Amino acid sequence: MAIPLIDAPVPDSVRATAPKLKRNGKSAKDPAVVILTTIVCAILLLIIGFPLYGLLTSAFAPKGLEVLARMVTDPVNHRIIANTLLLGLIVGTTGTLVGFLFAYAQVKVKFRGKRALHLLAMIPIVAPPFAVATAVITLFGRNGAITNGIFGWQADIYGLPGLTIVLSLSFFPVAYMNIRGMLESLDPSLDEAAAGLGASKLRVFFTVTIPMLVPGLAGSFLLLFVESIADLANPLVLGGDYTVLASRAYLAVTGEFNMQAGAAYSLTLMLPALLVFLVQRYWVSRKSVVSITGKPAGATEQISAPSIRIPVLVIVGFLAALIVSIYATVLAGGFLKVPGVNNELTLAHYQFVLAGLGSKAMVDTTILALIAAPIAGLLGMLIGWLVVRKLKRASGLIDFIGMLGLAIPGTVLGIGYLITYNKPVNIFGLQVFPALAGGSAILAGAVAIVMVYIARSLPSGQRAAVSALQQIHPAIEEASTSLGADSATTFRKVTLPLIQSALLTGLTFAFARSMTTLSPIVFLTTPGIKIMTSQILAEVDSGRFGNAFAYCTVLIGIVLLVILLLNVIIRKVVFRGQSHRR
Amino acid sequence: MDNLTAADPTPITADASEFAPALESGQVTLSALTKRYGNRVDDPIAVDSVDLDIRAGEFVTLLGPSGCGKTSTLRMIAGFETPTSGHVTVDGTDMVSVPPNKRPMSMVFQSYALFPHLSVRQNVAYGLRLKKTSEKRLREEVDTALTIMNLMPYAERAPHQLSGGQQQRVALARALVMRPKVLLFDEPLSNLDAKLRVQMRNEIRRLQKRLGITSIFVTHDQDEAMTLSDRIVVMNQGRIEQIDVPEQVYRHPSSIFVADFIGRANFLDATLLVDPVDGRARAFALGLEREVATHPDVSLEGEVLLMVRPESVILTPNPAADSVHGEVGRVLSAIFHGESVEYEVETDTGSIVALVSDPAANEIFEPMDTVSVGIKADRGWLLPVHAES
Repeated sequence: MAIPLIDAPVPDSVRATAPKLKRNGKSAKDPAVVILTTIVCAILLLIIGFPLYGLLTSAFAPKGLEVLARMVTDPVNHRIIANTLLLGLIVGTTGTLVGFLFAYAQVKVKFRGKRALHLLAMIPIVAPPFAVATAVITLFGRNGAITNGIFGWQADIYGLPGLTIVLSLSFFPVAYMNIRGMLESLDPSLDEAAAGLGASKLRVFFTVTIPMLVPGLAGSFLLLFVESIADLANPLVLGGDYTVLASRAYLAVTGEFNMQAGAAYSLTLMLPALLVFLVQRYWVSRKSVVSITGKPAGATEQISAPSIRIPVLVIVGFLAALIVSIYATVLAGGFLKVPGVNNELTLAHYQFVLAGLGSKAMVDTTILALIAAPIAGLLGMLIGWLVVRKLKRASGLIDFIGMLGLAIPGTVLGIGYLITYNKPVNIFGLQVFPALAGGSAILAGAVAIVMVYIARSLPSGQRAAVSALQQIHPAIEEASTSLGADSATTFRKVTLPLIQSALLTGLTFAFARSMTTLSPIVFLTTPGIKIMTSQILAEVDSGRFGNAFAYCTVLIGIVLLVILLLNVIIRKVVFRGQSHRR
Repeated sequence: MDNLTAADPTPITADASEFAPALESGQVTLSALTKRYGNRVDDPIAVDSVDLDIRAGEFVTLLGPSGCGKTSTLRMIAGFETPTSGHVTVDGTDMVSVPPNKRPMSMVFQSYALFPHLSVRQNVAYGLRLKKTSEKRLREEVDTALTIMNLMPYAERAPHQLSGGQQQRVALARALVMRPKVLLFDEPLSNLDAKLRVQMRNEIRRLQKRLGITSIFVTHDQDEAMTLSDRIVVMNQGRIEQIDVPEQVYRHPSSIFVADFIGRANFLDATLLVDPVDGRARAFALGLEREVATHPDVSLEGEVLLMVRPESVILTPNPAADSVHGEVGRVLSAIFHGESVEYEVETDTGSIVALVSDPAANEIFEPMDTVSVGIKADRGWLLPVHAES
């Protein structure tokens, strides 16, 4: 299932002829815009603003300050911070490298099976966080099917080595898509120009291709850095003694019941994440020299020289085989009694997940994700539209807050929710709404989970909407206004149909991300609501890998099925007869 | 584009009186209209206190170089920009507080701005549908508009299946069907190729004359402005330089800027001999004392220049510097344009460009030829060097 990540394609006929044309005086007095902006701000405040505020006040409460002080003084904490940053640096580097190799092979190297390789690189996006970790333990752990079963080792993959492998393989698709997009839009005439000036292929690669890619590589590194320091699932399963800030914060909240300490650890984790996000957003993106013209940059010359082709293909092939074996293990593991140890076939795990005690998690998660996805998708489109077209000064701020759901580690967000919404929210002594998270919350905390889903999955749709809108000439919307439509009507009847690809991207990612997110969720599940990812964590914790694999497979299946249905529905029903594709 | 791009053989012919507005409606007034981007006093002014009265049914063109404020002015009339100060009124009603979607105007855009996800018919029907028009009436109106614009055969097509000229016609039909009091055009022809541009502008002019809808047309193309307009408003740096009928703007420009921007002009050193009376005076220029029409600001106190259009310059062989032929010059270059020949001639007064139309083959001068340089009777225009508009 190919998922468009960055740019939703826009038909040529609506491409802006002058996208740099900045309209300064957007008409401001439109009541619809004022109302929509107010709604968006209120939602952003609820899903991101309040929880962050709650976290900050908690971290700076006396008990939290104590922990924060110990961040500076206590060597144990130094170790944890160092571990976290080291993990981010290593995974950022290896993940970017893997992503680059896949992208380079895909765009530049001649071989058969490109589509298969592309799909393979996309799988991790729809897979839940434990799939890779659990499979790696089963294959390469102490009693691993390969390490012990074939080679007879007692391999210790817990700690940094295991985390590096698992996180790199889980997160590299982001780098892959980023770098692939850049490689594809590199104008081949630049290579030709360099070659025409007498540069050898290798020289062209190092003096033209790589420098052009530096912003893309740096951006990918930073994104992977943030993702890996924020990850909670894998350090919990694979970390062993290697404690990072995310797992430390989790322990503080769930093991020590010390909310303020959890908040303090989270805050420490948030600082580098936010810093890197800011650098990525305001520095790296500005350094980009690759211009996306929207015109196909001409046929890229495919490299067939063995000196480049063979090493690239060997490494990529090895990694691809690794990924295949990992997901094959996930798929097969669900049918084995004790995967890797007792390989008798059984349907018990699937029965547990689909029909037994575990099925509630499947139903609950899917329903909540189905509620969150359309809200997040539409909200993303709306924010994109307001930011690109309607707002002047506030646009940067709203765009930034919308993107925070991606920049703030899930652990941080989860703890923030727990602190803020575990009791009724009062403003000036008036109860505005009841408790949304925790044991006593309404609907068993489902509201908070949906909110956190929206916060986490909003940014991808928002990004897609912004880049799609920047390619659509503003005159098309002005024409609608000139013909008597107000802003809301224009958005519904003109803008939304034109950015339907971006909407599809937004919905797809919102659903996939909601289904697979764990780090904020572990703090928010209650006995009344079961979420698949946190159930998987429980199963892995108690060593029932078979159940975990069955959950993972079912989860991947649901995500793929819903994405497929979304494609069909959006393309065939919602904008029926309005297709503008050639 | 596809193979439909070739010149359109189907002009707008059908009876268009359907969409004529009520008589004497659509009078537009701009008073002290000002737009300043940014809030500080030292931010550049895009439109600087523009006053303009447009009569009902008049075709007015805002003409000027890019950045002169013509588009900002149009967008303020349409409501897409909010004026920093000043007023826009239509038939006496102040428009500034009226949102753009409620103004009795329709705009035709440079990029056509057709809705790519709707068919031609749906595009034209878009605005009427928002007005909750009954299905029957909607169909009639849309059919009429499509017929006027000769678009019936393409009604069910998607915009991208049409040629540029057809797309622009859909945009025009979509605007007309709303029965606006005022039609606004934002450089609508600049994306068309040269031949189609001429054809479309003739059609727009014919249609506008028949319908009598007040039209405001923005362009940087002086040809377009000349051929379309009842009056031309020449703008420069946010200010109006001149408002007049095309002939006056061309023959008697109010400033050196206007003279230079519209068409081509020679500016010759001249000496005023007596103060002007009734817009005429005697001046010495190009080796002769002659009577010329003068700008109202011309007086004996200031320096003056004589503006002569290249086509008003007469070149004659057999040089004889006498009282009729003025100064003697030497041909520097001769460029054959087809319908005319362009010469650059060096004289004691300076270098002069001359455009001689349709010369016989044996009457074409060669470089280095010596010629005498004159001016057609009554074609000179005496301008003050520092003309204030």
